[in-house]
Amino acid sequence: MRILVVEDEPDLLRSLAQALREEGYAVDTADNGDDGLFSAEGTDYDAIVLDVMLPGMDGWEILKRLRKTKKTPVLMLTARDQSRDRVRGLDTGADDYVVKPFDLPELFARLRAIIRRGANKTTNTIEIGDVTVDTAARNVLFKDKPVELTAREYSLVEFLALHRGEVVTRTQLYEHLFDENESSLSNLLDVHVSNVRKKLGAEFITTRRGHGYCVEG
Amino acid sequence: MKIFKSIKWRLQIWYGLILVVVLAGFGFTAYQLERGRLLGRVDDELHRRVGVLANALHHPPPRGLEENEQPFDRPPPGQFPDDGPPGQNPHPPLEFHLPPEAAGLFGTNDSNNFYFIIEGRDGNELACSDNVLQSEVDFQHRFNAVNHASNLDNSPAPRASLNFKDNRGIFQRLPSGETIYVACSVIPELRELKMTALKLAGVGGIILFFGLAGGWWIVSRSLRPVVEISSAAAKISAGDLSQRINVAEAESELGQLAAVLNSTFARLDAAFAQQKQFASDAAHELRTPVAVVLTQTQTTLNRERTAPEYRETVEACQRAAQRMRKLIGALLELARLDAGQEQMKRMKFDLSRTARDCVELIRLLADERGVKIASELPPLEITGDSERIAQVITNLLTNAIQYNNPDGEVRITTQAQTGSAILTVRDTGAGIAAEDLPRVFERFYRADKSRSSGNNGLGLAISKAIVEAHGGAIEVSSEENVGTIFTVRLPAA
Repeated sequence: MRILVVEDEPDLLRSLAQALREEGYAVDTADNGDDGLFSAEGTDYDAIVLDVMLPGMDGWEILKRLRKTKKTPVLMLTARDQSRDRVRGLDTGADDYVVKPFDLPELFARLRAIIRRGANKTTNTIEIGDVTVDTAARNVLFKDKPVELTAREYSLVEFLALHRGEVVTRTQLYEHLFDENESSLSNLLDVHVSNVRKKLGAEFITTRRGHGYCVEG
Repeated sequence: MKIFKSIKWRLQIWYGLILVVVLAGFGFTAYQLERGRLLGRVDDELHRRVGVLANALHHPPPRGLEENEQPFDRPPPGQFPDDGPPGQNPHPPLEFHLPPEAAGLFGTNDSNNFYFIIEGRDGNELACSDNVLQSEVDFQHRFNAVNHASNLDNSPAPRASLNFKDNRGIFQRLPSGETIYVACSVIPELRELKMTALKLAGVGGIILFFGLAGGWWIVSRSLRPVVEISSAAAKISAGDLSQRINVAEAESELGQLAAVLNSTFARLDAAFAQQKQFASDAAHELRTPVAVVLTQTQTTLNRERTAPEYRETVEACQRAAQRMRKLIGALLELARLDAGQEQMKRMKFDLSRTARDCVELIRLLADERGVKIASELPPLEITGDSERIAQVITNLLTNAIQYNNPDGEVRITTQAQTGSAILTVRDTGAGIAAEDLPRVFERFYRADKSRSSGNNGLGLAISKAIVEAHGGAIEVSSEENVGTIFTVRLPAA
């Protein structure tokens, strides 16, 4: 899962990005409105955390422009909790909002919720054969037993599970699993896929040669 | 009683009473005049008849001269009897003969039904009209009573009139000793008077009704603004500050009161709105540093960290806390300035010297940013609080440096003008957009909408409050991409 965080307070931006990375997300950051919109339009993020008050273009403007081209789920960070601000945010196309100061667990939960809704899922658990993916607890059960996965491996399983039945290209996987700062070594992905197959059974991920990977429903 | 406490009712009762008194007085006078007129007419008729009756009294034809009786003493026939010398006695009894043409004056053919009695010298009835009824006995007694009471014997030609029982009569004593009583029924006159009284009462009643109704209408109308004022005031006191009084009649005294109250309400409303906005802005400004502290600590505490990581977190928290400290200080300062609690010292000091000190203190920041500071500060003495003025100057200089271009220039000058001292701070930065210019002194207003500059958006608001507490004024003018000029005008020493 790859997320963009747009926030102009440097300390807040840094700690948010760190916390999200430790949650297993690939995180890109922007500290002003113009850079934020540029990144948001150029990459298919799974979600965007967007502050309202920004130098340059403000959060409302970014949202308005982004909605012309993309449906990326957006979580607004606002320091105002008056209902007209919330209404405005939701009307402009925000998927949810969090009022500062926020609790990190709550922010994560809301983020998971908008990502899930973006993938048209309504529950936190996805069952594929013997494999159960719990996106809230961020763990995977294989034949009802918990499986030890690294954060990156979990992200790979979760992404494929959320797109079950679809063919996911290697490019898409790179875009969603790695942020812009990581070198996208092509064999890194193969290593993750082979590790997941070892842990969840070889048939869990099928390879469509020339296209990408797929998790069959 | 509640009714007597109501202005409306008190007014109504008061002018109702006045109206009743005036109408009653007027009606009574009109009634008396009418009564006098009617009875006067009756009296005229009565007197005319007395005259006729007196003329109808004749001396009997002479039967030779009697002793100590002189023929000249006798009035010739037809002559008015009181021509005779008074007190001459004894005369022969007079004879009464009513001419036929005068007989019509008495009788039932007239609605007044005139009647008469002539009494002889000896008190015996000499003659009477045919229509003297039972009441005449009474009439006669009454006349006798009056006769004696007023001692009429001493008066030469006494006459009097009096009323009794729907009748009015007069009598006259002739010099020869006979007394003529004439009376008539005044029932028609009394009936007419009764009608007049009814008419007067009717007209008075109608006038009273319209007077009260009209008064009620006017009082209700003119008191309606009071009702509106009290209902609006009640709603405002219940917390709805957007209420206004509906001013229909702006010209009336109450309309003016309503207008004054409306403007008071509007100012209250604006002051409350400003307070609310201020509180909301203050909370908003505090949210971000709190968010930093929360996020930093929650992230860091999620797992074991290395010492440098902990250090970094603590530093970030410290920065956030510092920001909150500055903000809280500024908020408190503004609150005190607003409440007028912050006392400005009134000391003479050299403005140019204070400005120079400020420039020295700020030079480090200017050097960091590569901004040059030019100053033109001739000595200029003013009265005020030098520490507070220094705060204003430092704030203006900090802004001028922060919003300047690298290699830009800040120019600070002082200048004496008639009655005031002028301090200007000019920068060569990007300038302020025209739409932002009127709002730069507003609290928390930042043209760049971000917090990264480290300003809390209160500096200029505090500067303005300080300058105004000194009785001065602060102005700003700006041209985009040329620079901004802040001008502080303070009263001279």
